Amino acid sequence: MLKLNNISKSYNKGEVKAVDNLNLEIKSGEIFGFLGPNGAGKTTTIKMIVGLLKPDEGKIILDGVDVWQDSLRAKSMISYVPDNPEIYDRLNGIEYLNFIADMYGISKEERTKKIEYYTKLFNIEDSLGDIIGSFSHGMKQKLVLTSALLNDPNLFILDEPMVGLDPKSSFNLKEIMRKMCNEGKTVFFSTHVMEVAEKLCDRIAIINKGKIIALGTMEELRAHAKERESLENIFLELTDNE
Amino acid sequence: MNKLFSLIKTDLNVTFGLSSILYSFKAKRQRWQMLLFGIAMLSLIPTYVLFLVSLEKLYVSFRQIGQQSYFLLTGFLGSQMIVFFFGLLYVMSKYYFSNDLMHLLPLPIKPSHILTSKFITIMVSEYLTSIPVFLPFVIIYGIKGRVGLLYWIYTLLALITFPILPLVLASIVIMLLMKYTNIKGKRDLIRTISSILFIVLILYSQLKIQNLAQKAMLEGKDFYFNLARDANLLVRNLGLVFPPSMWGALSLANYNKVIGLTNILMFVATSIAGFALMIFLSERIFFDGLIGNIEVTATKGKDRRKDLYRVTSVKKPYLAIAKKELKMLIKTPIYLMNSVGGVIIGPIIIVLSLFTGEQSTEPLAQYLSSNMDIVILASIGMIGALGILNSVGATTFSREGKNFWIQRTLPIKAKDQILGRVLASIALQVLGGFVLIGCILFIIRLDILSILLILVLGLIASIPMTQIGMIIDILRPMLNWSNPQQAMKQNLNVLIGMGVGVLYGGALIILVKFMLNKINIWGIYSILTTILFISIIVFSIILKKLIEKQFREL
Ligand SMILES: Nc1ncnc2c1ncn2[C@@H]1O[C@H](COP(=O)(O)OP(=O)(O)OP(=O)(O)O)[C@@H](O)[C@H]1O
Ligand SMILES: [Mg+2]
Repeated sequence: MLKLNNISKSYNKGEVKAVDNLNLEIKSGEIFGFLGPNGAGKTTTIKMIVGLLKPDEGKIILDGVDVWQDSLRAKSMISYVPDNPEIYDRLNGIEYLNFIADMYGISKEERTKKIEYYTKLFNIEDSLGDIIGSFSHGMKQKLVLTSALLNDPNLFILDEPMVGLDPKSSFNLKEIMRKMCNEGKTVFFSTHVMEVAEKLCDRIAIINKGKIIALGTMEELRAHAKERESLENIFLELTDNE
Repeated sequence: MNKLFSLIKTDLNVTFGLSSILYSFKAKRQRWQMLLFGIAMLSLIPTYVLFLVSLEKLYVSFRQIGQQSYFLLTGFLGSQMIVFFFGLLYVMSKYYFSNDLMHLLPLPIKPSHILTSKFITIMVSEYLTSIPVFLPFVIIYGIKGRVGLLYWIYTLLALITFPILPLVLASIVIMLLMKYTNIKGKRDLIRTISSILFIVLILYSQLKIQNLAQKAMLEGKDFYFNLARDANLLVRNLGLVFPPSMWGALSLANYNKVIGLTNILMFVATSIAGFALMIFLSERIFFDGLIGNIEVTATKGKDRRKDLYRVTSVKKPYLAIAKKELKMLIKTPIYLMNSVGGVIIGPIIIVLSLFTGEQSTEPLAQYLSSNMDIVILASIGMIGALGILNSVGATTFSREGKNFWIQRTLPIKAKDQILGRVLASIALQVLGGFVLIGCILFIIRLDILSILLILVLGLIASIPMTQIGMIIDILRPMLNWSNPQQAMKQNLNVLIGMGVGVLYGGALIILVKFMLNKINIWGIYSILTTILFISIIVFSIILKKLIEKQFREL
């Protein structure tokens, strides 16, 4: 469903090559984990998929739609949760959710049902009437998650979603991701937490200096590495550059 | 001291974006934007030249009655007033609402050091805004009056110190206001209303004092005799509204006498003393207004849950965007004061100045009543001008700031973006329009038809103005700000927008002036409307292209 063809992106007029000729194909119904050390190019790749950074080269195709040609159609299928939830801090929670739902054109019944369900699940339903400026980091994160789930995305993209979530919420989030896959949707997320990737992901890619250095299921990754026990060891071995 | 210098350096760098300006000079795509900026600045020159020419005439008329020192007083008062009113806004946002406070507060720095660094940054902004007003006065006076070297030395001293005292006053006023309005609940609203009330009050009392002084002077015996005898008569009487301005004017006008020296000393000494007083006060009251600012009221009420269904409402995308824009404008004090405050205070000033003028408004009213077409056309022009003066269009994308990613990742049509954001601006013009009409009604009677004409055509005229601002803002949105003030007050897009707006509006005015008395008034209205609608369509097409491109590539 999601295809990245020869994607490259550099910053500062080519001085920093953040993503280097990257190819990736992700199938429907897959939970895909994106790992890599700090500054490897994960956030850059994700921003190119969601329409925030234009690739210097290459194409991104989602269900046959070129993300950068027919961007409105692509965006209506994607939901994105950034690593840093900067949202309108002068609005209150419910105003923000309504705004997002209006942009997706979601009916009143549908949005009420979803808002009720997810805010209860994430335990922020009592704060919906407060302005977002009063929210903690985790609460903002949960509000963005809720807003991203309002439109039943075909592709759910999250950048380090577990950071700042309490144990129960991150458990719930993992459940949501699983359920989406069972419905044939695709989940793509970056993380630094090895156990999460190991337990949750159908396939994993490890990126370093803008290039994919390993790709496959846990089994396949194990087959490539000398240290065969945990993902952590494989990760450390592969990204260890002298 | 080292701490203080490094604070000042950092604050100047952050506020004026020195590092990022250097950075953007290197980027190629910025260059043609600089060109556009240059053109816009050039378009302001004719207006400025007009200002200079009329100043020169003013000087000549004062010299005819031997009171050219009053010309200097006008310069001092005018520029110090500008500093004071801008200062209120600058101080409010810089002392109390900038994001760096969160990082500065936990550090072991004295409040007076924080304030000093911020004060100096604001001084720089104030110089930039008020020197173009101050300089022409002293230069025209100096050249025309063939003055000596000492005049220019005094001028230099005055030039450096004139913003200090008004800015000190603004700082103290705001610090007191923030201390005593630091009340849980509707803090922002209370503060906004009290500052608007305060500004109106100040303006009113200024005009009142001036009026009383004027009256006393005219009624006093031997006015004309005194006028001829004392070259500083007007300054001494009318300068009472703000004595430091009077001292400044007296010192320059009498530079070759002893009172010149005493007055310049007074001028400089009060500035320094005022600054010291502010620093002294800041140690006591600055934190009182600040603490609690970061804390926002959270109800944590369970009862909110039940009416979730009720508070959930479905809106068309463009209406949702307009509503969100207005909400953000109203809930951010800095935006509220700049946009809403502007459209309200403008017309109020006009009325106040007419009313405290005491001289009967009869002749004026009579003149206006016999020229209704002019009144209507001018009002349409004023409401149209609000479209750019309210700064809403020219900062609409900049105001998104770090939240810009939200709308860039949502499937929003460019059409909805344009419509929603224009609507938000129109809402303010409606408000401004009502205030303006209310003000006009104080002076003359308007029939329903005229009121409708003013409102409808005025609002239509404000659309292309707003769009001009939006076009400039989407070309170079200023997204990397840490303080909402930067998005609105320190955003060059507003100034560029005004430049282009003056060109566009000027062309329309010239056209209307040309048609006046040649074509029937209804013919003029229809031609004007047609041109406005064509502009709206053309600008919409340009905006759509630009929004699609910039939302993708920024
Ligand atoms: N706005 C930017 N300007 C210049 N260089 C940037 C910018 N954003 C990222 N980079 C550079 O691009 C490279 C990849 O950054 P990216 O944010 O994609 O890393 P990441 O894998 O998400 O790292 P992390 O795990 O720390 O989030 C880094 O070398 C970084 O310095
Ligand atoms: Mg990252």
